[in-house]
Amino acid sequence: MLGVEGKTFTPLVHAADSGSMNYFSQGFAKAWELLLHMDAATVSAVQVTLGSTFCALCVSLLLGLPFGFLLGYCQFPGKRFLRLISDTLLAFPTVLIGLIVYAFITRRGPLGEFGLLFTVPGMVIGQALLALPIITSWVAQAVENLDPRCRQTLLTLGATKAQLVFLTIRELRYAVAMVGVTAFGRVVTEVGIATMLGGNIRYATRTMTTAIALETSQGEFGQGIALGLVLLLIAFIVNALLVCLKRRGRV
Amino acid sequence: MSLLYEGHDIVQVYGEVQALSLPQFVLHKGEVLALTGPNGSGKSTLLRLLAFLEHPASGKLVWHGNATNPRREITLLLQEPFLLRESVYRNVTLGLTLRGVSDTRQPYKEAMLAVGFQHPDSMAGRPFHALSGGEKQRVALASRLILKPALLLLDEPTSSVDAKSARNIVAAVRECMTAGVSVVYATHDQTLLDALGGREQKLGK
Repeated sequence: MLGVEGKTFTPLVHAADSGSMNYFSQGFAKAWELLLHMDAATVSAVQVTLGSTFCALCVSLLLGLPFGFLLGYCQFPGKRFLRLISDTLLAFPTVLIGLIVYAFITRRGPLGEFGLLFTVPGMVIGQALLALPIITSWVAQAVENLDPRCRQTLLTLGATKAQLVFLTIRELRYAVAMVGVTAFGRVVTEVGIATMLGGNIRYATRTMTTAIALETSQGEFGQGIALGLVLLLIAFIVNALLVCLKRRGRV
Repeated sequence: MSLLYEGHDIVQVYGEVQALSLPQFVLHKGEVLALTGPNGSGKSTLLRLLAFLEHPASGKLVWHGNATNPRREITLLLQEPFLLRESVYRNVTLGLTLRGVSDTRQPYKEAMLAVGFQHPDSMAGRPFHALSGGEKQRVALASRLILKPALLLLDEPTSSVDAKSARNIVAAVRECMTAGVSVVYATHDQTLLDALGGREQKLGK
Protein backbone atom coordinates (compact mmCIF):
# COMPACT_ATOMS: atom_id res chain seq x y z
CA MET A 1 0.00 0.00 0.00
CA LEU A 2 2.84 2.25 0.92
CA GLY A 3 4.41 1.67 -2.42
CA VAL A 4 1.17 2.46 -4.17
CA GLU A 5 0.64 5.52 -2.05
CA GLY A 6 4.21 6.57 -2.71
CA LYS A 7 3.74 6.16 -6.45
CA THR A 8 0.58 8.23 -6.48
CA PHE A 9 2.01 10.88 -4.13
CA THR A 10 5.26 11.57 -5.96
CA PRO A 11 3.79 12.81 -9.28
CA LEU A 12 1.48 15.11 -7.32
CA VAL A 13 4.48 16.77 -5.66
CA HIS A 14 6.17 17.19 -9.04
CA ALA A 15 3.02 18.72 -10.43
CA ALA A 16 2.85 21.18 -7.56
CA ASP A 17 6.56 22.06 -7.94
CA SER A 18 6.21 22.59 -11.63
CA GLY A 19 3.06 24.67 -11.07
CA SER A 20 4.75 26.99 -8.57
CA MET A 21 7.85 27.22 -10.76
CA ASN A 22 5.63 28.28 -13.67
CA TYR A 23 3.90 30.71 -11.37
CA PHE A 24 7.22 32.35 -10.42
CA SER A 25 8.69 32.25 -13.90
CA GLN A 26 5.54 33.80 -15.32
CA GLY A 27 5.81 36.51 -12.67
CA PHE A 28 9.42 37.23 -13.59
CA ALA A 29 8.62 37.15 -17.32
CA LYS A 30 5.81 39.66 -16.79
CA ALA A 31 8.09 41.80 -14.64
CA TRP A 32 10.78 41.78 -17.32
CA GLU A 33 8.22 42.70 -19.97
CA LEU A 34 6.88 45.60 -17.87
CA LEU A 35 10.36 46.95 -17.22
CA LEU A 36 11.48 46.48 -20.82
CA HIS A 37 8.46 48.28 -22.25
CA MET A 38 8.60 50.99 -19.56
CA ASP A 39 5.06 50.26 -18.40
CA ALA A 40 3.40 53.57 -17.50
CA ALA A 41 2.09 52.44 -14.09
CA THR A 42 5.46 50.98 -13.11
CA VAL A 43 7.38 54.07 -14.28
CA SER A 44 4.91 56.33 -12.44
CA ALA A 45 5.37 54.38 -9.17
CA VAL A 46 9.16 54.60 -9.52
CA GLN A 47 8.96 58.34 -10.26
CA VAL A 48 6.63 59.07 -7.34
CA THR A 49 8.79 57.03 -4.95
CA LEU A 50 12.07 58.65 -5.96
CA GLY A 51 10.56 62.14 -6.17
CA SER A 52 8.87 62.05 -2.77
CA THR A 53 11.89 60.41 -1.12
CA PHE A 54 14.25 63.02 -2.58
CA CYS A 55 12.03 65.91 -1.43
CA ALA A 56 11.59 64.40 2.05
CA LEU A 57 15.34 63.92 2.33
CA CYS A 58 16.02 67.55 1.32
CA VAL A 59 13.57 68.85 3.94
CA SER A 60 14.90 66.58 6.69
CA LEU A 61 18.54 67.42 5.85
CA LEU A 62 17.76 71.12 5.89
CA LEU A 63 16.25 70.83 9.38
CA GLY A 64 18.15 67.86 10.82
CA LEU A 65 21.70 68.86 9.85
CA PRO A 66 21.88 72.12 11.85
CA PHE A 67 19.82 70.68 14.69
CA GLY A 68 22.01 67.56 14.87
CA PHE A 69 25.14 69.74 14.76
CA LEU A 70 23.85 71.87 17.64
CA LEU A 71 22.93 68.76 19.65
CA GLY A 72 26.39 67.26 19.13
CA TYR A 73 28.55 70.37 19.32
CA CYS A 74 27.02 72.78 21.82
CA GLN A 75 26.41 72.49 25.54
CA PHE A 76 23.07 73.84 26.76
CA PRO A 77 20.46 72.98 29.39
CA GLY A 78 18.04 70.30 28.21
CA LYS A 79 20.46 68.93 25.61
CA ARG A 80 20.36 65.39 27.03
CA PHE A 81 16.56 65.43 27.08
CA LEU A 82 16.38 66.59 23.45
CA ARG A 83 18.87 63.89 22.48
CA LEU A 84 16.77 61.28 24.29
CA ILE A 85 13.66 62.40 22.39
CA SER A 86 15.48 62.34 19.08
CA ASP A 87 16.88 58.86 19.80
CA THR A 88 13.43 57.60 20.87
CA LEU A 89 11.90 58.89 17.64
CA LEU A 90 14.28 56.65 15.71
CA ALA A 91 11.97 53.78 16.61
CA PHE A 92 8.78 55.67 15.72
CA PRO A 93 6.45 53.30 13.80
CA THR A 94 5.69 54.61 10.32
CA VAL A 95 1.95 54.03 10.70
CA LEU A 96 1.96 56.20 13.82
CA ILE A 97 3.71 59.00 11.89
CA GLY A 98 1.10 58.46 9.18
CA LEU A 99 -1.69 58.68 11.76
CA ILE A 100 -0.38 61.89 13.35
CA VAL A 101 0.22 63.66 10.03
CA TYR A 102 -3.16 62.38 8.81
CA ALA A 103 -4.83 64.03 11.83
CA PHE A 104 -3.18 67.33 10.89
CA ILE A 105 -3.79 67.35 7.14
CA THR A 106 -7.21 65.72 6.96
CA ARG A 107 -10.00 68.09 5.93
CA ARG A 108 -11.08 68.55 9.57
CA GLY A 109 -7.48 68.93 10.81
CA PRO A 110 -5.60 72.19 11.49
CA LEU A 111 -3.88 72.04 8.06
CA GLY A 112 -6.95 70.71 6.26
CA GLU A 113 -7.45 73.87 4.19
CA PHE A 114 -4.24 73.16 2.23
CA GLY A 115 -5.67 69.96 0.76
CA LEU A 116 -2.52 67.93 1.40
CA LEU A 117 -4.17 64.58 2.14
CA PHE A 118 -3.65 61.98 -0.59
CA THR A 119 -1.10 64.15 -2.36
CA VAL A 120 2.65 63.77 -2.85
CA PRO A 121 3.42 66.84 -0.65
CA GLY A 122 1.35 65.21 2.12
CA MET A 123 3.47 62.06 1.78
CA VAL A 124 6.63 64.18 1.79
CA ILE A 125 5.68 65.70 5.18
CA GLY A 126 5.32 62.24 6.73
CA GLN A 127 8.48 60.88 5.11
CA ALA A 128 10.46 63.95 6.21
CA LEU A 129 9.27 63.34 9.78
CA LEU A 130 10.47 59.75 9.45
CA ALA A 131 13.94 60.81 8.23
CA LEU A 132 14.36 63.78 10.60
CA PRO A 133 15.27 61.87 13.80
CA ILE A 134 17.61 59.60 11.83
CA ILE A 135 19.50 62.59 10.48
CA THR A 136 19.40 64.59 13.74
CA SER A 137 20.54 61.77 16.02
CA TRP A 138 23.20 60.37 13.73
CA VAL A 139 24.65 63.76 12.82
CA ALA A 140 24.79 64.59 16.56
CA GLN A 141 26.54 61.27 17.15
CA ALA A 142 29.02 61.93 14.33
CA VAL A 143 29.81 65.39 15.78
CA GLU A 144 30.29 63.91 19.26
CA ASN A 145 32.59 61.24 17.87
CA LEU A 146 34.73 63.79 16.07
CA ASP A 147 38.31 63.87 17.33
CA PRO A 148 38.65 66.77 19.84
CA ARG A 149 42.01 67.58 18.25
CA CYS A 150 40.09 68.71 15.13
CA ARG A 151 38.68 71.75 16.97
CA GLN A 152 42.02 72.49 18.65
CA THR A 153 43.89 72.24 15.35
CA LEU A 154 41.46 74.51 13.51
CA LEU A 155 41.58 77.10 16.29
CA THR A 156 45.35 77.03 16.47
CA LEU A 157 45.50 77.55 12.70
CA GLY A 158 43.52 80.76 13.27
CA ALA A 159 39.97 79.73 12.34
CA THR A 160 37.21 82.16 13.30
CA LYS A 161 33.97 80.81 14.83
CA ALA A 162 32.19 80.71 11.45
CA GLN A 163 35.19 79.04 9.79
CA LEU A 164 35.33 76.53 12.65
CA VAL A 165 31.69 75.50 12.11
CA PHE A 166 32.08 75.32 8.33
CA LEU A 167 35.30 73.28 8.48
CA THR A 168 33.91 70.93 11.14
CA ILE A 169 30.90 70.17 8.92
CA ARG A 170 33.25 69.74 5.97
CA GLU A 171 35.36 67.34 8.02
CA LEU A 172 32.19 65.35 8.72
CA ARG A 173 31.07 65.31 5.08
CA TYR A 174 31.45 61.54 4.61
CA ALA A 175 29.66 60.79 7.87
CA VAL A 176 26.84 63.21 6.91
CA ALA A 177 26.59 61.65 3.45
CA MET A 178 26.34 58.21 5.04
CA VAL A 179 23.54 59.44 7.30
CA GLY A 180 21.75 60.86 4.24
CA VAL A 181 22.09 57.59 2.33
CA THR A 182 20.83 55.59 5.32
CA ALA A 183 17.82 57.90 5.71
CA PHE A 184 17.13 57.58 1.97
CA GLY A 185 17.14 53.78 2.31
CA ARG A 186 14.71 53.97 5.22
CA VAL A 187 12.28 56.34 3.48
CA VAL A 188 12.34 54.69 0.06
CA THR A 189 11.29 51.32 1.50
CA GLU A 190 8.58 52.48 3.93
CA VAL A 191 4.97 51.63 3.20
CA GLY A 192 2.84 52.87 6.14
CA ILE A 193 3.17 56.61 5.54
CA ALA A 194 2.79 56.31 1.78
CA THR A 195 -0.40 54.30 2.17
CA MET A 196 -2.02 56.47 4.85
CA LEU A 197 -1.07 59.90 3.50
CA GLY A 198 -0.79 59.13 -0.21
CA GLY A 199 -3.84 56.95 -0.51
CA ASN A 200 -2.18 54.69 -3.11
CA ILE A 201 -3.74 56.54 -6.07
CA ARG A 202 -2.56 55.18 -9.41
CA TYR A 203 -0.43 57.59 -11.48
CA ALA A 204 -0.58 60.10 -8.61
CA THR A 205 0.58 58.89 -5.19
CA ARG A 206 1.22 55.18 -5.76
CA THR A 207 4.76 54.35 -4.71
CA MET A 208 6.73 51.19 -5.36
CA THR A 209 6.04 49.74 -1.92
CA THR A 210 2.30 50.50 -1.91
CA ALA A 211 2.02 49.18 -5.47
CA ILE A 212 3.77 45.92 -4.52
CA ALA A 213 1.37 45.46 -1.59
CA LEU A 214 -1.67 46.18 -3.75
CA GLU A 215 -0.66 44.17 -6.81
CA THR A 216 0.28 41.17 -4.66
CA SER A 217 -3.06 41.26 -2.85
CA GLN A 218 -4.76 41.25 -6.27
CA GLY A 219 -2.68 38.31 -7.52
CA GLU A 220 -0.76 40.50 -10.04
CA PHE A 221 2.68 39.20 -9.24
CA GLY A 222 4.26 40.53 -12.42
CA GLN A 223 4.10 44.18 -11.50
CA GLY A 224 4.90 43.39 -7.89
CA ILE A 225 8.06 41.55 -8.91
CA ALA A 226 8.99 44.27 -11.42
CA LEU A 227 8.77 46.95 -8.74
CA GLY A 228 10.51 44.66 -6.26
CA LEU A 229 13.42 44.32 -8.69
CA VAL A 230 13.66 48.11 -9.04
CA LEU A 231 13.61 48.46 -5.23
CA LEU A 232 16.33 45.83 -4.97
CA LEU A 233 18.40 47.71 -7.55
CA ILE A 234 17.96 50.94 -5.55
CA ALA A 235 18.93 49.11 -2.33
CA PHE A 236 22.03 47.79 -4.11
CA ILE A 237 23.00 51.26 -5.34
CA VAL A 238 22.43 52.74 -1.87
CA ASN A 239 24.60 50.07 -0.26
CA ALA A 240 27.32 50.44 -2.91
CA LEU A 241 27.29 54.17 -2.17
CA LEU A 242 27.64 53.47 1.55
CA VAL A 243 30.63 51.17 0.97
CA CYS A 244 32.19 53.83 -1.26
CA LEU A 245 31.68 56.55 1.36
CA LYS A 246 33.10 54.33 4.11
CA ARG A 247 36.21 53.71 2.04
CA ARG A 248 36.70 57.35 1.04
CA GLY A 249 36.06 58.82 4.45
CA ARG A 250 37.40 55.91 6.53
CA VAL A 251 34.52 56.49 8.92
CA MET B 1 64.17 91.93 24.79
CA SER B 2 60.59 93.14 24.91
CA LEU B 3 57.93 91.23 26.82
CA LEU B 4 55.74 88.94 24.72
CA TYR B 5 53.71 87.02 27.31
CA GLU B 6 53.30 87.34 31.07
CA GLY B 7 51.15 85.66 33.66
CA HIS B 8 50.55 85.50 37.40
CA ASP B 9 49.04 82.86 39.69
CA ILE B 10 47.80 80.75 36.80
CA VAL B 11 45.64 77.83 37.89
CA GLN B 12 43.78 75.38 35.70
CA VAL B 13 41.31 72.85 37.03
CA TYR B 14 39.49 70.01 35.25
CA GLY B 15 36.57 68.85 37.39
CA GLU B 16 38.15 68.42 40.79
CA VAL B 17 41.67 67.86 39.50
CA GLN B 18 44.10 70.75 39.56
CA ALA B 19 46.08 70.36 36.35
CA LEU B 20 48.32 73.42 36.67
CA SER B 21 49.47 75.86 39.29
CA LEU B 22 52.04 78.40 38.14
CA PRO B 23 52.89 81.46 40.25
CA GLN B 24 54.59 83.34 37.43
CA PHE B 25 55.16 83.05 33.70
CA VAL B 26 57.24 85.35 31.55
CA LEU B 27 58.28 85.08 27.91
CA HIS B 28 60.24 87.63 25.91
CA LYS B 29 60.23 88.22 22.17
CA GLY B 30 62.58 85.80 20.41
CA GLU B 31 63.06 83.73 23.56
CA VAL B 32 63.15 79.93 23.61
CA LEU B 33 61.56 78.29 26.64
CA ALA B 34 61.60 74.58 27.49
CA LEU B 35 58.81 73.31 29.75
CA THR B 36 59.92 70.25 31.67
CA GLY B 37 58.47 68.20 34.47
CA PRO B 38 56.91 64.82 35.15
CA ASN B 39 53.71 63.52 33.51
CA GLY B 40 50.70 65.42 34.80
CA SER B 41 52.73 68.46 35.81
CA GLY B 42 50.70 70.67 33.48
CA LYS B 43 53.01 71.18 30.49
CA SER B 44 50.32 70.48 27.88
CA THR B 45 47.77 72.43 29.92
CA LEU B 46 50.04 75.49 29.96
CA LEU B 47 50.60 75.20 26.20
CA ARG B 48 46.82 75.08 25.60
CA LEU B 49 46.39 78.14 27.81
CA LEU B 50 49.16 79.98 25.95
CA ALA B 51 47.49 79.03 22.64
CA PHE B 52 44.18 80.53 23.84
CA LEU B 53 42.48 77.15 23.46
CA GLU B 54 41.38 77.34 27.11
CA HIS B 55 40.91 80.01 29.75
CA PRO B 56 42.60 79.59 33.15
CA ALA B 57 40.32 78.83 36.11
CA SER B 58 42.05 81.67 37.94
CA GLY B 59 45.02 83.96 37.46
CA LYS B 60 46.01 86.17 34.59
CA LEU B 61 47.77 85.62 31.25
CA VAL B 62 48.52 88.67 29.11
CA TRP B 63 49.63 88.54 25.48
CA HIS B 64 51.61 91.55 24.31
CA GLY B 65 51.39 90.79 20.60
CA ASN B 66 50.05 93.01 17.82
CA ALA B 67 47.03 91.22 16.37
CA THR B 68 43.53 91.66 17.76
CA ASN B 69 43.08 87.89 17.43
CA PRO B 70 46.08 86.33 19.25
CA ARG B 71 45.31 82.95 17.66
CA ARG B 72 46.55 84.46 14.40
CA GLU B 73 49.98 85.10 15.97
CA ILE B 74 50.33 82.01 18.14
CA THR B 75 50.16 78.44 16.90
CA LEU B 76 50.41 75.11 18.70
CA LEU B 77 51.68 71.78 17.38
CA LEU B 78 49.92 69.01 19.28
CA GLN B 79 51.78 65.97 20.56
CA GLU B 80 49.63 63.67 18.40
CA PRO B 81 49.18 65.56 15.13
CA PHE B 82 45.72 65.89 13.64
CA LEU B 83 45.28 66.28 9.90
CA LEU B 84 41.99 67.00 8.18
CA ARG B 85 40.55 64.51 5.67
CA GLU B 86 42.23 66.43 2.89
CA SER B 87 45.38 66.35 0.79
CA VAL B 88 48.79 67.31 2.18
CA TYR B 89 48.62 70.59 0.22
CA ARG B 90 45.27 71.59 1.71
CA ASN B 91 46.39 70.66 5.20
CA VAL B 92 49.59 72.68 4.98
CA THR B 93 47.99 75.75 3.40
CA LEU B 94 44.75 75.72 5.45
CA GLY B 95 45.90 78.43 7.87
CA LEU B 96 46.78 80.75 5.00
CA THR B 97 43.45 80.05 3.30
CA LEU B 98 41.67 80.94 6.55
CA ARG B 99 43.53 84.27 6.48
CA GLY B 100 42.35 84.92 2.92
CA VAL B 101 45.74 84.36 1.24
CA SER B 102 45.11 83.16 -2.31
CA ASP B 103 48.60 82.43 -3.62
CA THR B 104 49.81 79.58 -1.44
CA ARG B 105 52.10 77.69 -3.86
CA GLN B 106 55.43 79.26 -2.89
CA PRO B 107 54.80 79.36 0.88
CA TYR B 108 53.78 75.68 0.64
CA LYS B 109 57.07 74.75 -1.00
CA GLU B 110 59.12 76.73 1.52
CA ALA B 111 57.33 75.22 4.53
CA MET B 112 57.62 71.68 3.18
CA LEU B 113 61.33 72.11 2.39
CA ALA B 114 61.88 73.50 5.90
CA VAL B 115 60.54 70.30 7.49
CA GLY B 116 62.68 68.11 5.25
CA PHE B 117 60.44 67.12 2.34
CA GLN B 118 62.76 67.34 -0.65
CA HIS B 119 59.98 67.07 -3.25
CA PRO B 120 57.01 69.13 -2.00
CA ASP B 121 55.16 68.90 -5.33
CA SER B 122 55.07 65.12 -5.26
CA MET B 123 53.63 65.24 -1.72
CA ALA B 124 50.95 67.84 -2.52
CA GLY B 125 48.20 65.46 -3.67
CA ARG B 126 48.79 62.71 -1.13
CA PRO B 127 45.79 62.02 1.13
CA PHE B 128 46.16 62.41 4.90
CA HIS B 129 45.80 58.69 5.57
CA ALA B 130 48.67 57.73 3.28
CA LEU B 131 51.26 59.37 5.56
CA SER B 132 53.41 57.71 8.22
CA GLY B 133 53.42 59.02 11.81
CA GLY B 134 56.64 60.98 11.25
CA GLU B 135 55.37 62.44 7.97
CA LYS B 136 52.11 63.50 9.64
CA GLN B 137 54.02 65.33 12.36
CA ARG B 138 56.22 67.10 9.78
CA VAL B 139 53.19 68.05 7.65
CA ALA B 140 51.49 69.37 10.78
CA LEU B 141 54.62 71.39 11.64
CA ALA B 142 54.76 72.73 8.07
CA SER B 143 51.14 73.89 8.44
CA ARG B 144 52.25 75.95 11.47
CA LEU B 145 55.54 77.26 10.02
CA ILE B 146 53.78 78.51 6.88
CA LEU B 147 51.89 80.98 9.13
CA LYS B 148 55.16 82.64 10.25
CA PRO B 149 53.87 82.92 13.84
CA ALA B 150 55.24 85.23 16.50
CA LEU B 151 55.08 82.37 18.99
CA LEU B 152 55.45 78.68 18.15
CA LEU B 153 54.23 76.24 20.79
CA LEU B 154 55.35 72.61 20.56
CA ASP B 155 53.97 69.79 22.70
CA GLU B 156 56.51 66.95 22.78
CA PRO B 157 57.15 67.39 19.05
CA THR B 158 59.51 64.43 18.65
CA SER B 159 58.05 61.96 21.14
CA SER B 160 56.17 59.82 18.63
CA VAL B 161 58.32 60.04 15.50
CA ASP B 162 61.30 58.17 14.06
CA ALA B 163 64.88 59.47 14.40
CA LYS B 164 65.01 60.94 10.88
CA SER B 165 61.75 62.83 11.31
CA ALA B 166 62.93 64.04 14.74
CA ARG B 167 66.11 65.47 13.13
CA ASN B 168 64.02 67.22 10.45
CA ILE B 169 61.70 68.69 13.09
CA VAL B 170 64.62 69.94 15.21
CA ALA B 171 66.27 71.51 12.13
CA ALA B 172 63.02 73.27 11.16
CA VAL B 173 62.45 74.61 14.68
CA ARG B 174 66.08 75.80 14.94
CA GLU B 175 65.63 77.65 11.62
CA CYS B 176 62.53 79.26 13.10
CA MET B 177 64.45 80.29 16.20
CA THR B 178 67.17 81.84 14.05
CA ALA B 179 64.49 83.89 12.30
CA GLY B 180 63.54 85.38 15.68
CA VAL B 181 60.36 83.41 16.39
CA SER B 182 59.68 82.79 20.09
CA VAL B 183 59.40 79.07 20.86
CA VAL B 184 57.91 77.32 23.87
CA TYR B 185 58.21 73.55 23.86
CA ALA B 186 57.27 70.83 26.31
CA THR B 187 59.51 67.80 26.56
CA HIS B 188 60.74 64.87 28.58
CA ASP B 189 63.51 64.20 26.12
CA GLN B 190 67.01 65.32 27.12
CA THR B 191 68.17 64.96 23.49
CA LEU B 192 65.57 67.49 22.36
CA LEU B 193 66.46 69.73 25.27
CA ASP B 194 70.12 69.63 24.22
CA ALA B 195 69.24 70.20 20.56
CA LEU B 196 66.90 73.18 21.02
CA GLY B 197 68.23 74.59 24.29
CA GLY B 198 66.67 77.74 25.72
CA ARG B 199 65.62 78.66 29.24
CA GLU B 200 64.18 75.75 31.20
CA GLN B 201 61.06 76.10 33.32
CA LYS B 202 60.26 73.13 35.51
CA LEU B 203 56.59 72.50 36.25
CA GLY B 204 55.07 70.39 39.00
CA LYS B 205 56.23 69.74 42.50
